[in-house]
Amino acid sequence: MLEIKLPELGENIAQGTVSKILVKAGDSVKKGQNILEIETDKAVLEVPSPQEGLVKEILIKSGQSVKVGQPIFTFDGKSSAAASSPASEPKITTPAQQPQVTKPQASISPVNPASTTGVITEMKLPGLGENITQGTVTKILVNKGDPIKKGQNILELETDKAVLEVPSSLDGVVEEILIKTGQAVKVGQSVFKIKGAGAATSFSPAAPQLVVQPTSAPATKSETKTSVSTNPAISAQTVSAEPAKNVSAAPSVRRFAREIGLDITSVTGTGPGGRISVEDVKAHAKRILTSGTVGAGVSVPSVPLPDFSKWGSIERQPMNNVRKKTAEHLSRAWQTIPHVTQFDKADITELEKLRKHLSTKENKMSITPFIIKVVAAALKNFPQFNASVDMTTNEIILKKYVNVGVAVNTDRGLLVPVLKNVDQLSIKKISDELTAIAERARNKKTTLDEMQGGSFTISNLGGIGGTCFTPIVNWPEVAILGISRGTMEPVYSDGHFVPRLMLPLSLSYDHRLIDGADGARFLRWICDEIQKPFSMDLEK
Amino acid sequence: MSNPIKLVVIGAGPGGYAAAFLAADMGMQVTLIDKEENPGGVCVYRGCIPSKALLHAAKVLNESQEAENIGITFSKPTVNLDKLRSWKNSVITRLTSGTGQLRKQRKIANIQGQAKFLNSSTIEVEKIDEKKELVTFDKVIIATGSRPATIPTLPKSKNILDSTSALDIESIPERLLVIGGGYIGLELSTVYDALGSKVTVVEMMPQLLTGADRDLANILIKRIESKFEKVMTSTKVLKVEEISSGLRVNFEDADGKKFTEEFGKILVSIGRKPNTENIGLENTKVKLTDRGFVKVNGQLKTDDENIYAIGDVAGNPMLAHKASHEGRIAVEAIAGHKVAFEPQAIPAVVFTDPEVAWCGLTELEAKEKGLEVTVVKFPWGASGRAITLERVDGLTKLIIDAKTERVLGMGIVGVGAGELISEGVLAVEMGAVVSDIKLSIHPHPTISETVMESAENFFGTATHFYRPKKT
Repeated sequence: MLEIKLPELGENIAQGTVSKILVKAGDSVKKGQNILEIETDKAVLEVPSPQEGLVKEILIKSGQSVKVGQPIFTFDGKSSAAASSPASEPKITTPAQQPQVTKPQASISPVNPASTTGVITEMKLPGLGENITQGTVTKILVNKGDPIKKGQNILELETDKAVLEVPSSLDGVVEEILIKTGQAVKVGQSVFKIKGAGAATSFSPAAPQLVVQPTSAPATKSETKTSVSTNPAISAQTVSAEPAKNVSAAPSVRRFAREIGLDITSVTGTGPGGRISVEDVKAHAKRILTSGTVGAGVSVPSVPLPDFSKWGSIERQPMNNVRKKTAEHLSRAWQTIPHVTQFDKADITELEKLRKHLSTKENKMSITPFIIKVVAAALKNFPQFNASVDMTTNEIILKKYVNVGVAVNTDRGLLVPVLKNVDQLSIKKISDELTAIAERARNKKTTLDEMQGGSFTISNLGGIGGTCFTPIVNWPEVAILGISRGTMEPVYSDGHFVPRLMLPLSLSYDHRLIDGADGARFLRWICDEIQKPFSMDLEK
Repeated sequence: MSNPIKLVVIGAGPGGYAAAFLAADMGMQVTLIDKEENPGGVCVYRGCIPSKALLHAAKVLNESQEAENIGITFSKPTVNLDKLRSWKNSVITRLTSGTGQLRKQRKIANIQGQAKFLNSSTIEVEKIDEKKELVTFDKVIIATGSRPATIPTLPKSKNILDSTSALDIESIPERLLVIGGGYIGLELSTVYDALGSKVTVVEMMPQLLTGADRDLANILIKRIESKFEKVMTSTKVLKVEEISSGLRVNFEDADGKKFTEEFGKILVSIGRKPNTENIGLENTKVKLTDRGFVKVNGQLKTDDENIYAIGDVAGNPMLAHKASHEGRIAVEAIAGHKVAFEPQAIPAVVFTDPEVAWCGLTELEAKEKGLEVTVVKFPWGASGRAITLERVDGLTKLIIDAKTERVLGMGIVGVGAGELISEGVLAVEMGAVVSDIKLSIHPHPTISETVMESAENFFGTATHFYRPKKT
């Protein structure tokens, strides 16, 4: 049995905090394999194993502070080499980066097609869809040694917008898993080594492959001969076939933009003479991805935070992808849109009777589908609420479709799946779809498509409580309706007070496009409609 | 598992074989159809390569005579035409057997014959043994190239040459008339002039090398006019008749004055026509443009879903290097890659003496389009290297976007201009600004320094060129 001690981490670093333990007892570990992630005051470091062996015992735990030389693992080792000698310099990554496994070997080695039995092929992460270049591994669905079939789901990946299942592009046996849960992987990065895959040199015509080097260097190249993945999610037909004229960008950059489905002429170059770099393209793609379209947001320069630990103990937690995107998206919406919030109350006494009447034990209806239906009708009567603002051309984009997003609270954070063409759906159908889509969102099954294309958003916090709130418009939409909890209130009517169930509604809108009077009118119209539920068309 | 795509490439010129080779490298099942035994096409068999071989001979001849200026006198050279021709042919054989070898190594099926579409998915090939073979495909690339345009009113005569027969150098006429002052006419004029013909160039347009910037063309024209017998612009050929001593030609100049002259041979070089006939395009959905080219989109796809077209047949400029680039783009598009043919600069080179080369935006185009550009130049008289070569008849220029200072185009005339232009292509493609060139160290003493000094001239600070300060 061997004791593995924390090796030297670098100049002036005597200790660090264990941020992640990358192996567990019983794991077989190779020399040089990363076994620990240590956060020091300078950087997050990955600690490689100085030794080959079997992990017997883990002597530390996540969050614990460890010193150089302190025992961290015991191994059942083969060799009796001095355990404390550091095998190699720990790799330094900046704290912002996700932990990385050892960089996989460059590419498939050329093989003799005749002898396919023992061939090991690296499977790369295929293109995941327009503008998606990476994701975080949420689940690895196969184990080392598993036989896998082409098309079988092997990986679950969380991207900015949805959780995707990634199918295998090969038949074979999993020889090595090159990634781990929680790791960020890029399209084109090797994810598995597959043994016995005879398709080493094949490529699929349907799979345009974008290989972004796993390092942060801006080098990109298009894989032409050894890509081994197929991807049904991406379609080559969506990119314009027409050449871009007179663009200040290197040919490699133009091709990169084309490959990720971006019109290079829409990118603003930051280089000399407006030259567009790969970074400019990526930044532009990111902007589009987080917002839907390009807007004129103004970013606030960030100010360094104070050292909170001066006043007591603190804990730093990484944001998950949903949280990161929510933060970015809402900042953009808040900075772009001059918000006004209008409050009103709807008398839902009658609606509540109807709702109860329609609800069954198995199928409880909430008030949301009724309000979605009323909103759909309101959007037809007030088209400026079903619109977007294009300040670059000074145009108002009026939408001829009614797609309503519904904010759903999940344990990952806030998601807004979109119900399409709700004006054409019955309340019953809306209710069913709403249940289904919310369920999918909570189970991480929402597809990208379901998250896009909204023209108005509804956020219902009534289940929790509260009187009113000021929702933030889901840019590039121009209005959002917040629903709070209905309460029984005395309402003065025909000379005396009567008890009525009143529902507080909060409408936030984009004041660039919508005037105050229209905002008040729109919300009043909704309240009036809600008050006469029996005129609602339930079936259509 | 091999790639399921079955690709047929019709025509094995520089575009066709580049496409076929890449497709094979990507694992497609490729068939190449061409009339010649080996890949190469017009470029290698009857164009770029043989003409450059003969131009090399011309250069040796000219330099041996001009060496007198620097104190070296050779006796008047004699030319063994048979030996020169067989050397030129050996160059062709060496190259084509090489491409043939590369084709075999890539396991590309080869059918020697003439292809014709029967419909949008079948080709009939009439092979050289006159047997017919049907070929089916998933995708096809038309790369049938072009041929010299002819003047139908001319009589049939072995003394009337086109670019193909001119390269056979059957004999050297005492007087040669070259009809057409474009790049092919001027290159072959250079060859025949060096081999001893008195060359007359006649051009309908008011200038030679239409399309090239005048300051560049003029340096070439000045030398041509001193070497050739005569250059006649704005002049029409009215009639050609065969006489015992050769050909009698009636001309009409810009003033309407008519005159007659006699020549041993005539070279017709009035342009090239795309080969779109007799390949059964009418049996497909392929459409042609008004100018007779196959209509393609940015991915080189025709109006027929499975048919692509590249090279001369797909549009101007009819240049080998444009064809091979298009060929590779078409194959990548067929493989499903998101690509488009979108060069910012296609270099054009006229291999005369001196050479003329340009890429990207020309000064003429900038004027036509009303673009705000700054043109900076560096005359070779100030280049140490040019002086040591006894060839100061040169000029380097850059066309710069006045606002962003981006390099939009480059033009060069002078010996070796064809090799120098690549720097301009790279600059334009990379979106270089003029400072990038200025701040890149160029080796001394070379002609390439003139590119750097042109860039310095943009700031009025070229070391070897004084530009008075504006007050």
